[in-house]
Amino acid sequence: MTERIRNIVILGGGSAGWLTAGVLASEHCITSNSQISVTLVESPDVKTIGVGEGTWPSMRETLRRMGVSESDFIRECDASFKQASKFVGWVTGEPGDHYYHPFSPPQGYGDVNLVPAWAEIDGAPRFADAVSFQPHLCEKGRAPKQIVTPEYGAVANYAYHLDAGKFGRFMQKFCVEKLGVRHLLTHVEGVDTNDNGDISALRTGDDRVKGDLFIDCTGFSSILMSRHFEIPRVSTTDVLFCDTALAVQVPYPTADAPITSHTVATAQKAGWIWDIGLPTRRGVGYVYSSAHTSDEQAERALLDYVGKRAANLPASPRKIPIKPGHLQTFWHRNCVAVGISAGFIEPLEASALALIEMSAQMIADELPATRPLMDVVADRFNKRFLYRWDRIVDFLKLHYLLSRREGSDFWIDNRRPETVPDRLKELMELWRYRPPGRRDFPQIEEIFPAASYQYVLYGMGFKPDPSAHQRRLDDRKSAHDCFRVNQQLTGKYLNGLPSNRELIRHVVTHGMKRV
Amino acid sequence: MANFQLLNNIDHKDLKIKTDRSAELGDNLWYAVTFPEEFRNLQRYYPIFFIKNPNDGEFEAVAMFGVEDGENLFLDEKGWNASYIPLNIMRQPFLIGFQEKEQGGQTVREPVVTVDMDSPRVSQEQGEPVFLEHGGSSGYMEQVNSILNMLYQGLSGSKSFYKALTELDLIESFVLDVQLDDGSEHRLAGFYTINEDVLKELDGEQLEMLHRKGYLEPIYMVIASMSRVSDLLEIKNEQRKAAMGHAEG
Repeated sequence: MTERIRNIVILGGGSAGWLTAGVLASEHCITSNSQISVTLVESPDVKTIGVGEGTWPSMRETLRRMGVSESDFIRECDASFKQASKFVGWVTGEPGDHYYHPFSPPQGYGDVNLVPAWAEIDGAPRFADAVSFQPHLCEKGRAPKQIVTPEYGAVANYAYHLDAGKFGRFMQKFCVEKLGVRHLLTHVEGVDTNDNGDISALRTGDDRVKGDLFIDCTGFSSILMSRHFEIPRVSTTDVLFCDTALAVQVPYPTADAPITSHTVATAQKAGWIWDIGLPTRRGVGYVYSSAHTSDEQAERALLDYVGKRAANLPASPRKIPIKPGHLQTFWHRNCVAVGISAGFIEPLEASALALIEMSAQMIADELPATRPLMDVVADRFNKRFLYRWDRIVDFLKLHYLLSRREGSDFWIDNRRPETVPDRLKELMELWRYRPPGRRDFPQIEEIFPAASYQYVLYGMGFKPDPSAHQRRLDDRKSAHDCFRVNQQLTGKYLNGLPSNRELIRHVVTHGMKRV
Repeated sequence: MANFQLLNNIDHKDLKIKTDRSAELGDNLWYAVTFPEEFRNLQRYYPIFFIKNPNDGEFEAVAMFGVEDGENLFLDEKGWNASYIPLNIMRQPFLIGFQEKEQGGQTVREPVVTVDMDSPRVSQEQGEPVFLEHGGSSGYMEQVNSILNMLYQGLSGSKSFYKALTELDLIESFVLDVQLDDGSEHRLAGFYTINEDVLKELDGEQLEMLHRKGYLEPIYMVIASMSRVSDLLEIKNEQRKAAMGHAEG
């Protein structure tokens, strides 16, 4: 009997399942390696969730490594370019209240600390506007690259907005036709186990799908991890209250209407509304705390936001439960959860697809050679992803913590000290005297880098007190050089970049070159 | 600003064209767009690269005359110092334009000859006459017509050439770091050339396809033209040295 890990079985065919299949199949070259197989089993009658329309820039690298053509991806997934998140109304809710969290780091990041110099400017501009050209590109509806920029290349760092349903089908086709993934459309009726408790096979009628490693990508039902292994869940509702979403698709007024190249997140009485521009439509949704508002009130707020286009929506709002939280253990015995089956949280920083990429990549990189080694890898995986979930919770909480919005319990409750994780409290104390830096986030592949914390912290109006120490990196002259360079780059890029709509139109009709 | 007019023997009956080669007449260009059929003639003097057209992102070939904007190393006080001058230079100040015409109830685009009346080459007194006394084309204009025709055929026919090269991954980007004898440095970016490693790995079927379509020759002409880069730099070094010597003397 061999102990080698050769056959990987993925259960569930949404974005999580197909993305994981693609990463595993391409990283392990299964088309040319008969020693290993990847099989994806999906039920013909299970609908995918189809939320999660925002990605991180990591998706570019993930797709490129798999050998996906970016032009095909843009065309077939109704994808557009995303350069930032814009938070509207989160600080005070008054007119003009907004800040950006762009994907490009501050000018001179790592070499210069811009925070003290920025804080000293009289009538200081918004932090992100002073340190990054990207908010200016977003405000003007510019694309992050030129028509001559090759596939996956960027002038300004970017990610995507995409149609999750189309993305799943696109990945399915690519995985099956190009990467050698076996696809079984069949209903799983049960699980066979070995004496040691490992899953040996999925039962499908009279048949068995045998495997050495099983990956649970079954979304909310979490069939293998929650139902079969009964792994407990860690709820995060005590920190992050949003537990329900209402989503609608909003048509554009005309086919050539501008496509916003950032996600707009607008604060509401009991949560916030996402607004994502795809080439053919917008995806808009209200994420709210059911303890702070009713479904009826939420729907009214959503339709108010959509405004006069609400009269001719193609469908009424769809309700999606969020149940914020994650599994206590992600990898148990010979089974690992990826995607919503592992955990779900409000999509405030589009972490869902990014977590799938990170999970799939770690499984591919550390795929254990033998069954005994799997326990070692599982332990490493669990520690790594518990850490990541904690950091996501901290980072999302930061968006609420510094709000000064009044007149709504949702926002006031969010500031109660007992709802703030201890580590975040400590960091907030440290950051009074120095900006977030890399030692605050010491792991490789941190889900949110210190630059992201800077954008949110100072975007929310946090007032630093840099008087305690003067460091070499705090040099004011270097900082002002950076502000100047940023202004020059802003002018240059605004001149040289097409609009987001223009570039998408070009990609759809002509495609981008690979070189 | 260019001011293109449809060429005709009434409005332009006294039109003359200065055919000398100089910066004043607009020859201070550092490259000109070309097409595969011209590569054989060009590669004796000029490096041939590919660039992307900024308007549509499509590849096009260029013959290089310098290593920075506005620099034509082939120009000196005697004119253009090479025995072959690219067609896209020779055609100046004429250009193919398009006129929409009704034909059998359908609108067709027809190529027509236009002339840039703001070009410094345009004159009433000096240069080659465009039309003969009774309205026929001059020998000079006959030559220009055939150049325009070759250019039009060559440029419009080259799309399939770039498509084939792109599909085979034969085009790669490159950055040329130029260091001159006096220590100054220039960087040429945004240029593309043939990926010779990929070319060497093509199988018989792919090579046969390229050969049958007539693409193999221009591919090798581009590769051959790469050695013209060092010729350009040599001219540039000598011009610099001469300029320095002049300043010191």
